Amino acid sequence: MAMMPKRVKYRKSQRGKMKGNATRQNYVAFGEYGLQSLEMSWVTARQIEAGRVAASHFLHKSGKVYIRIFPCKSITKKPLETRMGKGKAEVEQWVACVRPGTVMFEIGGIGGDVAKRAMARVAHKMPVKCRLITRRHTG
Amino acid sequence: MVSKAELILKAQTRQERGKKRSAKLRKDGKIPAIIYGHKQEPQAVALNEHDFTEIIHHGKRLLDVEIDGKAEKLLIKDVQYDYLGKRIIHTDLIRVDLSEKVKVQVPLVFKGAPAGAAEGGVLEEHLAQLEVECTVTEIPEAIDVSVKAMKIDESIYARDIVLPAGVKLVTGSEVLVIACHVPLVIEEPVAAEAVAVEGPVSPEVITERKPKEGEEEAGAAPEKEKK
Repeated sequence: MAMMPKRVKYRKSQRGKMKGNATRQNYVAFGEYGLQSLEMSWVTARQIEAGRVAASHFLHKSGKVYIRIFPCKSITKKPLETRMGKGKAEVEQWVACVRPGTVMFEIGGIGGDVAKRAMARVAHKMPVKCRLITRRHTG
Repeated sequence: MVSKAELILKAQTRQERGKKRSAKLRKDGKIPAIIYGHKQEPQAVALNEHDFTEIIHHGKRLLDVEIDGKAEKLLIKDVQYDYLGKRIIHTDLIRVDLSEKVKVQVPLVFKGAPAGAAEGGVLEEHLAQLEVECTVTEIPEAIDVSVKAMKIDESIYARDIVLPAGVKLVTGSEVLVIACHVPLVIEEPVAAEAVAVEGPVSPEVITERKPKEGEEEAGAAPEKEKK
């Protein structure tokens, strides 16, 4: 089942604007390898789910997949052949706002070669250009 | 190439502060840095980006820095990266004596495949770095942890890790480092079930007004009267 919030304060949200780069959530925190976005976009709950399925099918129960983004923004859409007006339409999908630098998926507990191939499959399901990054050990 | 053994990093004192000046420094291939510690005044300096990045890649922490002709021993305290994690944009360096004890984070390297992997076990890393206390010259580059003997439902805690001589553990001894367990299998819904589930599911709205008892009837009655 696609991800969506359990409780929200308001059912419908304004579209908003995305600006700048990711200032947080931009490093690998849980696993050993991460999939980082290089573009700005909305990533829908279905795309996240498609990425998760692609990774888990490839890994065959080995390793662990972490999903770092959550679709908490509702997007509405008017039905086809409907006249304008009559208020805001019903919620059609839920999306996560992704900015350049955001780490969307992480994988741990497997080797680098397998992680690279698994992440390539996940990247194909994403609406943004991505790159594979590894955990940084400094400090 | 920078040799790992003998490297003296050259730094220049910078008088100019602010993000525009720092951006100009970065454009010229330098990294803005700050030096502090030992109850002396903080000193703003500029480092060569290429040389400093090489040092970081070699895993070195203790630096010999020549600041305007005067040599100092400095320890890398913090490194800031850009939004993609590619370029270093700023660093903090702290003054140290060679006999001084310091607290640092050292990365853990897990070696080998666990025995439980044959039975479907998966390693779950809970801690990637260990905080240790040691003299500046004895800081290990990494601490190796062998996971070969781990069976399913076995764990390694911070107290179980063998540390090099002269290195003391600061992280709590009860902290879980790595565990081996069988992953939970989440059954994916069959196509027919999935369609049924995707229907009218919507989140609970916190601010939504809930109709009180008898409110609907009371609200409907005046409309009828208008007609």
